[in-house]
Amino acid sequence: MEKQQLIQELKIIIKPYTTNIEAYEALNETTDFIKDLNINSANLVDIVLDIEEKFDIVIDNENMERMLDVKTAVEIIEVKLSAK
Amino acid sequence: MIGNDVIDLAQTRRESNWQRRGFLDKLFTTDEQLQISNHINPETIIWTLWSMKEAVYKIYNRQTGIRAFNPKKIVCKFNNTNIGTVSCNEKLYFTRTISTNKYIYTIATISKKKLSEIIELQDIPVIKDLNGLPYVADKNTKMLYPISVSHHGDFYKIAALKIND
Repeated sequence: MEKQQLIQELKIIIKPYTTNIEAYEALNETTDFIKDLNINSANLVDIVLDIEEKFDIVIDNENMERMLDVKTAVEIIEVKLSAK
Repeated sequence: MIGNDVIDLAQTRRESNWQRRGFLDKLFTTDEQLQISNHINPETIIWTLWSMKEAVYKIYNRQTGIRAFNPKKIVCKFNNTNIGTVSCNEKLYFTRTISTNKYIYTIATISKKKLSEIIELQDIPVIKDLNGLPYVADKNTKMLYPISVSHHGDFYKIAALKIND
């Protein structure tokens, strides 16, 4: 999957959890889930679970720990997908 | 060092579905999950443990500068009193939780003694440093004191350590 396509898929997943529409519309690789999108930390888990379901991958705690921005999330998904 | 976290229970019901498959497993250690499943009111204990983790994370983040999302590394021990002990990477913290039918509120600090020195501030301007860490300024001396701020739904809480002078 192309990186841009991955970001678009991620954007769809994130939508219900963000309250900052402006930052959401401008979402790019540098977007931070908490600082920019105001995502509540309990909902970060929902995003991780949604990603697991959507891409049929398992995200362990070591990876989840780093999953605070779009860039890292995309990297983790790419690595997991290529290992399938 | 101080941390706080308030949870608006009505808001959590709109935002989170803790019964979702995998949800509790990503947030809580095996022992914590056991405590949740044995509890008469799982919702209360879930958000109590979560507010303890969030309050402690604020201190840990301030102490170490580390940003990480790994709730299972923050391990809560909570008996039926409102005092808890929490550890994160060998560091130990103490918490006190207030639980009502509207909100759950936890304050955390690094010693049991300091727990009783935590006060709540209201209507006070919050100053943030470059890392987004909050402080209040003393009206007279202009000295900055670290505080912890938590906002969720209808609730807004500012916690500070009493200044001994």
